[in-house]
Amino acid sequence: MDLTPLAAGLAMGLGAIGPGIGLGIAVSKAMEALGRNPEASGAIFVPYILGIALAEAIGIYALVVSLILIFAA
Amino acid sequence: MLNVEIAAEPLFSIGPLTVTNSMVGALVASVILLVVAWYVTRRATLVPSRMQVLVEFPIEWIANIVQGTGGSRWRSFAPLVITIFIFVLIANWLGLLPGVGTIGYHAEHHGEEVLIPFVRAAGADLNFTLGLAIVSFIAFIAFGIKANGLGGYLKHTFIANPPYMTPIMTPIHIISELSRLISLSMRLFGNVFAGEVLLATMLALVPLVVPIAFLGLELVFGFVQALVFSLLTMTYVILAIAENEEHGRPELDDPDHDSPGEAPDHRAAPQGTAA
Repeated sequence: MDLTPLAAGLAMGLGAIGPGIGLGIAVSKAMEALGRNPEASGAIFVPYILGIALAEAIGIYALVVSLILIFAA
Repeated sequence: MLNVEIAAEPLFSIGPLTVTNSMVGALVASVILLVVAWYVTRRATLVPSRMQVLVEFPIEWIANIVQGTGGSRWRSFAPLVITIFIFVLIANWLGLLPGVGTIGYHAEHHGEEVLIPFVRAAGADLNFTLGLAIVSFIAFIAFGIKANGLGGYLKHTFIANPPYMTPIMTPIHIISELSRLISLSMRLFGNVFAGEVLLATMLALVPLVVPIAFLGLELVFGFVQALVFSLLTMTYVILAIAENEEHGRPELDDPDHDSPGEAPDHRAAPQGTAA
């Protein structure tokens, strides 16, 4: 029995938990900051984009691992 | 039928150079950029036409961001950041056009008949994203050497503060520098490729109406990833040149600073304490 698809699915699914939580925290804090100080949207924007990109990168690593499992292994 | 190959498919070869369909995608993006830039600058006026406003808007927008965070030397690296942004944006959005990835010829591959598209989104090929990441990597090292001198750059990179921590910190520092290369390229590749797979899956499941929503999602992702790639390049360049500047400490900290070796290094600027 070939377990590779299961491994790929697990890699992606488990790997998405952490970035999901991280993105949720990042977005909620950014919205909180915007709610307190709407004029700061320009100052928040760049660090916010960088932060969510770096949180998302972990999910992308999981995706790459599962893609390698599907296509390369 | 769901079919997205992880590697770009070769179309034809000129001598030793094999031309793949993602190279065609990158080439088309470059040609679009060149033609638009040539056309707009040829008839540029002080009071801009509508076309000129369209082209100038992203340039001004990114330039303002770079100016806001880049310190006194922002003009030297703003062109790099803007070029990366516009190029990746065009390349990403090009992949969403109808016909890209769907028009091609049929060929035998691993015993099955598959469709080989003529044009493929450039970002869905690791070679393209890795090439861009190498450009960014060389650029921030070059800017670091230009700003701090070769000696200053090597001292910063290879000698930790305090000096007796060097054997532990230097390998960590080198790995963290190299991980930027990998994370930059993998992030763009993963996003664009995942987008292609997502669109192909949705198209196979529900061919009508539903894929439109995901196309909209991919428009946003393409934009965000272009922005992320260029802003990360900007941040790396700022970190590389601002290490020994008095007021040059960027407001952004190193976003990749999961390694403990980095934090004390940046604050070790000799004149930095005076500020």
